Amino acid sequence: MCGIHELTEKDLQPLTYTPAYLDKIKGMRFFDPHVHMTSRTTDDYQAMADAGVVALIEPAFWLGQPRTGVDTFRDYFNSILGWERFRASQFGIKHYCTIGLNSKEANNEALAEAVMEILPQFIYKEGVVGVGEIGFDDQTPLEEKYYRAQLELAKEAGLPVQIHTPHRDKKKGTQRSMDIAMEHGLAPHMVIVDHNNEETVKEVLDRGFWAAFTIYPFTKMGNERMVEVVKQYGSERIMVNSAADWGISDPLAVPKTAALMHESGIDLNDIHLVTYMNAVKAFAQSGQINEADFDLAGNIDQSEKFNGSTVLRGGQQPRINKNTTIIR
Amino acid sequence: MAEYVYDRQKISEGLAAIIAGNSSDTAREWLQQRLQKAASLPQFNQTFTAIPRFTGKNMIVVSPEQAAVLQQQVPGFFVHGWTLDRLIRAWWLLQLDTSDKAVYLDTIEKLFLSAEMNELAALYSALPLLAWPEEWKLRTAEGVRSNIGVVQEAIMLRNPYPARYLDEPAWNQLVMKAIFTDKPLHLITGLDERRNAALAAILTDFAHERWAAGRKVSPMQWRLLTALITADNMADLTRVWHSADQTEKAAAALVFAYTDYAPAKTLLASDPALTAEIQSGALNWDVIAAKLSQN
Repeated sequence: MCGIHELTEKDLQPLTYTPAYLDKIKGMRFFDPHVHMTSRTTDDYQAMADAGVVALIEPAFWLGQPRTGVDTFRDYFNSILGWERFRASQFGIKHYCTIGLNSKEANNEALAEAVMEILPQFIYKEGVVGVGEIGFDDQTPLEEKYYRAQLELAKEAGLPVQIHTPHRDKKKGTQRSMDIAMEHGLAPHMVIVDHNNEETVKEVLDRGFWAAFTIYPFTKMGNERMVEVVKQYGSERIMVNSAADWGISDPLAVPKTAALMHESGIDLNDIHLVTYMNAVKAFAQSGQINEADFDLAGNIDQSEKFNGSTVLRGGQQPRINKNTTIIR
Repeated sequence: MAEYVYDRQKISEGLAAIIAGNSSDTAREWLQQRLQKAASLPQFNQTFTAIPRFTGKNMIVVSPEQAAVLQQQVPGFFVHGWTLDRLIRAWWLLQLDTSDKAVYLDTIEKLFLSAEMNELAALYSALPLLAWPEEWKLRTAEGVRSNIGVVQEAIMLRNPYPARYLDEPAWNQLVMKAIFTDKPLHLITGLDERRNAALAAILTDFAHERWAAGRKVSPMQWRLLTALITADNMADLTRVWHSADQTEKAAAALVFAYTDYAPAKTLLASDPALTAEIQSGALNWDVIAAKLSQN
């Protein structure tokens, strides 16, 4: 951190090298409604900001390895509400999150009970835009129990629900997730069904839910397939996300998909809906999203307001030149 | 130790007056409703969290008279530049029952433990108002370890609590962390009053590290050597004095202007123009701070 006061204007300018796809989406703004930034580096934040990502949602999920106690859940929730939010702001990106007990760890009943007990402390926090990501993994009775309990919690708090649909037995798992949500009296417009594919999308849209698509190499959607989905189903209630995490994934999936859609002749307004506006609308039902805040994301440095400092400029981060062997 | 070291009623009313001038009718009605239930701890906690949802986060406007009311009770307490939600959270903390000290301390500590970023900033900003102030020293030291800029600022800048209550090692850690994270040092309340020889020694060591790495040293940090010049650190200050950078030289001059150490006085006297600027008041630490912020 030391030495930021020695930066010149030049250090804060974008690198001269820009990938070709960025030209196609120049000036566009993107909202990635599902990305696990806690697993990502500052290089990713910088690249996302350069590509036009102005805001994102970090859903609470598992960490690649099961947790053994409720305190690590508490620390994780605190972390995505605190430190991660601050990290994002340093790159001018507005960070929101959804809070919930993920389906995998719902299978540890003692732990799940303890987590359910602390959830109400977190879901009313500022910038919590939903309960998520919750739903089915293995489709066990315990997963169902805690999915139902959290639907009730979301209903009581008036928050949208972000549903993780399973990798295995996906179609049935997705149907069942929607059936149960309806059973608990949640309106379809308050539910974002995530990780859709060509097999699930029709029913999700027909029933009035939001359909989110995760552009994630090898295991979820590719963006060429996504282009075809938008051509077939249009842009209403459809959104894309990266779900980038600790696996091989791409935090630029949303801007890259926008570029590919543009190249494929999809209307700019449809691109805007699918890569920005629909997600804003769906999660703004939490009352926690104000688009004007996207522009202020970096300006959270109170000292800036005291002394008009240009040095801090909202905590803007210095750029490092990745193309040199010299590190200063 | 008394629970409050000031007149709680007066501060609560003073804050309420500022809230009244900065909030909507619906926000105030909501607060009044919540006040009825404040005796229940879960309700108290939930309200603390929910405040920005119902009050908004506009920057507050404070009149000089309103600020004076607060300053009379808690010297150095400063709400200028706060957002409305932060101000209301500070006021809300004053509504917590203090009849049982253990319950009070536990409730506040738990608010810290489950706080998101803006809640943390509000809690640390409100340190000068908390009951049993001696009990928050370790919590403050913990906050100084935070990596989150707004949290660091809430503790370090325009907050009279640390200077009044932190012991010397914790205070020195706060100042060093402020330097490491490029905070505007002149906004640290009590910066001059809490100068000490141990901090001066840490600072000169730090300067040697920076110079060895080919990096610059912020001219502001020399302010902390004022009245603490010794034969040991005079060499460093002499180096700063001879810097080609005029702001660095001006910083050395300001340190020399307030010392009885003869070699320093001699050096300063060798530049009558700088000496005159200091005597006329044209050069002071605020001028240096302003110059640095323009870079």
